[in-house]
Amino acid sequence: MTEASLIGLFVATVSFGALLYLAALGELLAEKAGVLNLGVEGMMAIGAVTAFIVGVEFKNPWAALLVAMLSGAILASVHGFFTVGLGAEQVVSGLSLTILGLGLAAYLGKDYVGLPPGAELVPVEWAGFSDLPWVGPIFFNQAPIVYLALLMGIAVSFVLSSTRLGLALRAAGESASSTDSAGHSVLGLRLSAVAAGGALAGASGAYLTLSITPQWAEGLTAGRGWIAVALVIFGAWRPGRVGIGALIFGGTLALKTRLQPFGVDFSPIILSMLPYVLTLAILLIISIQARKRPSPAPFGLGLPYRREER
Amino acid sequence: MRRPRLSLREQPLPGGQPLAFGTGLLIALIVGILLLLAAGHEPLKIYSRMFEASLGDPDAWAKTINRAIPLGLAGLAVAIAGSMGLWNIGAEGQIMAGAIAAAWVARIGGDWPGIILIAMMLIAAVGGGGVLALGPALARAKLGVNEIITTLMLNEVAIRLVQWLIHGPWKDPDSYNFPLAPMLPDQARLPTLFSRAHFGLLIAAAVIVIASVAVRYTAWGYELRIAGSSEATARYSGISLSKKILTVLVLSGAVAGLAGGVELSGTADRLTETISNGFGFAGIIVAALALMRPSGVAVVALLFGAVQIGGQSIQTLGVSSSVSTILQAFVLFGAIGAGVFSRYRVVLDADTRSSNKELSDD
Repeated sequence: MTEASLIGLFVATVSFGALLYLAALGELLAEKAGVLNLGVEGMMAIGAVTAFIVGVEFKNPWAALLVAMLSGAILASVHGFFTVGLGAEQVVSGLSLTILGLGLAAYLGKDYVGLPPGAELVPVEWAGFSDLPWVGPIFFNQAPIVYLALLMGIAVSFVLSSTRLGLALRAAGESASSTDSAGHSVLGLRLSAVAAGGALAGASGAYLTLSITPQWAEGLTAGRGWIAVALVIFGAWRPGRVGIGALIFGGTLALKTRLQPFGVDFSPIILSMLPYVLTLAILLIISIQARKRPSPAPFGLGLPYRREER
Repeated sequence: MRRPRLSLREQPLPGGQPLAFGTGLLIALIVGILLLLAAGHEPLKIYSRMFEASLGDPDAWAKTINRAIPLGLAGLAVAIAGSMGLWNIGAEGQIMAGAIAAAWVARIGGDWPGIILIAMMLIAAVGGGGVLALGPALARAKLGVNEIITTLMLNEVAIRLVQWLIHGPWKDPDSYNFPLAPMLPDQARLPTLFSRAHFGLLIAAAVIVIASVAVRYTAWGYELRIAGSSEATARYSGISLSKKILTVLVLSGAVAGLAGGVELSGTADRLTETISNGFGFAGIIVAALALMRPSGVAVVALLFGAVQIGGQSIQTLGVSSSVSTILQAFVLFGAIGAGVFSRYRVVLDADTRSSNKELSDD
């Protein structure tokens, strides 16, 4: 086990962690407002493909990122319209969104498969810091989206815990009818949370095609959207804990292709089951503890709200 | 300001669900036309090709039926859980667990007579799917753990289990180091009925009929539906919820497992990581369109089978098969929308205050 390969492992851990964190933060926002969105995988795919297309056509990575976030938000709004607006089943609508997103991404990206990227977000050099041993490459030489993920984590955490908007948003997820009585628009809060969540999932997808694997291919998201859904539970709906979880799960993704240099004879496929198995374990622990203290899940998660039915 | 608002109809529109389904289909077809036009294709030509390839002649019907079999069984699995208000999102994984179990039987029973081998494979498949659903079932019944997430997570575990098997212990030594499981023995294959339509059609039909009758006409099914509509009512009438949850989720997994076994024995040459091909997820849409009624699943599954087979056929015309994926999602979204409007009407409020007054009318 060389130092270089160990550093490489940690660099990839942070990088994959940021990828998962962005998508998971989006899911957390939607779930905090009471909407389960199982369309993360589809929204990531749409973000990934639109970012790549804009990159190829306009050569501007920032425009690509912006369009990816916008596309993610638009796709998420389809889910918002049906579940929040029309009160459709969130599970069914979310899964359809995944199917729709993967289909649309394949349709849009058909002519872009295998093309070289037109724009990339390359690692940032932080004067002085990037040359530090260990922490330099691991923390101070990452792609800009990694820092965006960190910023978003802090922002989401701050908005949810310390602002009126965040309070209203959480209230919409805990008890829609009392939020309504308090004069807030449950519809507006939930729709915005879902759309914002979609934008974050789109950004996560963009990170794939602008930095991690700067190419487009069908199935590029490879089930990472499901890890994001798992992360929200793993982190007990708290932005900070979800961040820690993202690093752990990101580590398993990073390890997957890097076991060989460490001389470990262990199937990377078995390792890739770890995030899901860990999440299952956490779910069990949460529910066993729930007998003593309340579950961290938003109380109104999954429940549609119609004023006349309260 | 006049704001649109949904208001519950006193009576749902007659023929609501078939109408909603038809509307969804129509919306999907229109979206498809737009997509095809945007890509510079002739929609009518593409659609007639899709129709020809999926329902045009007996061979086409056979393909559609072979696709509808796993879709119908997966849809039934979801619908069984759904009649009790439970979500089995894990059909995808249970299909793979069923296929793994069936493939394992085919490995050890390569020299058994066909009928015994196939029967054992299907029984094993039922068991495999049931076993994968057992964990979520126990967790939900005993600890109240939400089954949506547990079944969803196990999908990802199951697909990796298949990958591990075909990359490792079950890799065919004669596959020139490709990650392929060995071919199934010939007698492990289900017989065909006509063209390439295989015997799985009768198995699926039988299971769907039995499940429909059980849910609709037996005391067991009645209790199931009561528990689905109101937990409180179920408790008052002395129905043991946790036992019911356990049996229903395991049964649901078992049916999905059967889909995996039938698919392996009916259409696949060997165990592959695409053995489920999204059937589990499509099954959720199928069940939702059938309003979680086992009896409605068959029709919807046939239609989805036709859309999928039609979608594959247009690839030769240079059209991305993703068009059919998009169509499937739009059928559902269209149907959800239409379904809502069959139960609700849109009223325009003068302002929010008057809507509160109107509450008593609804």
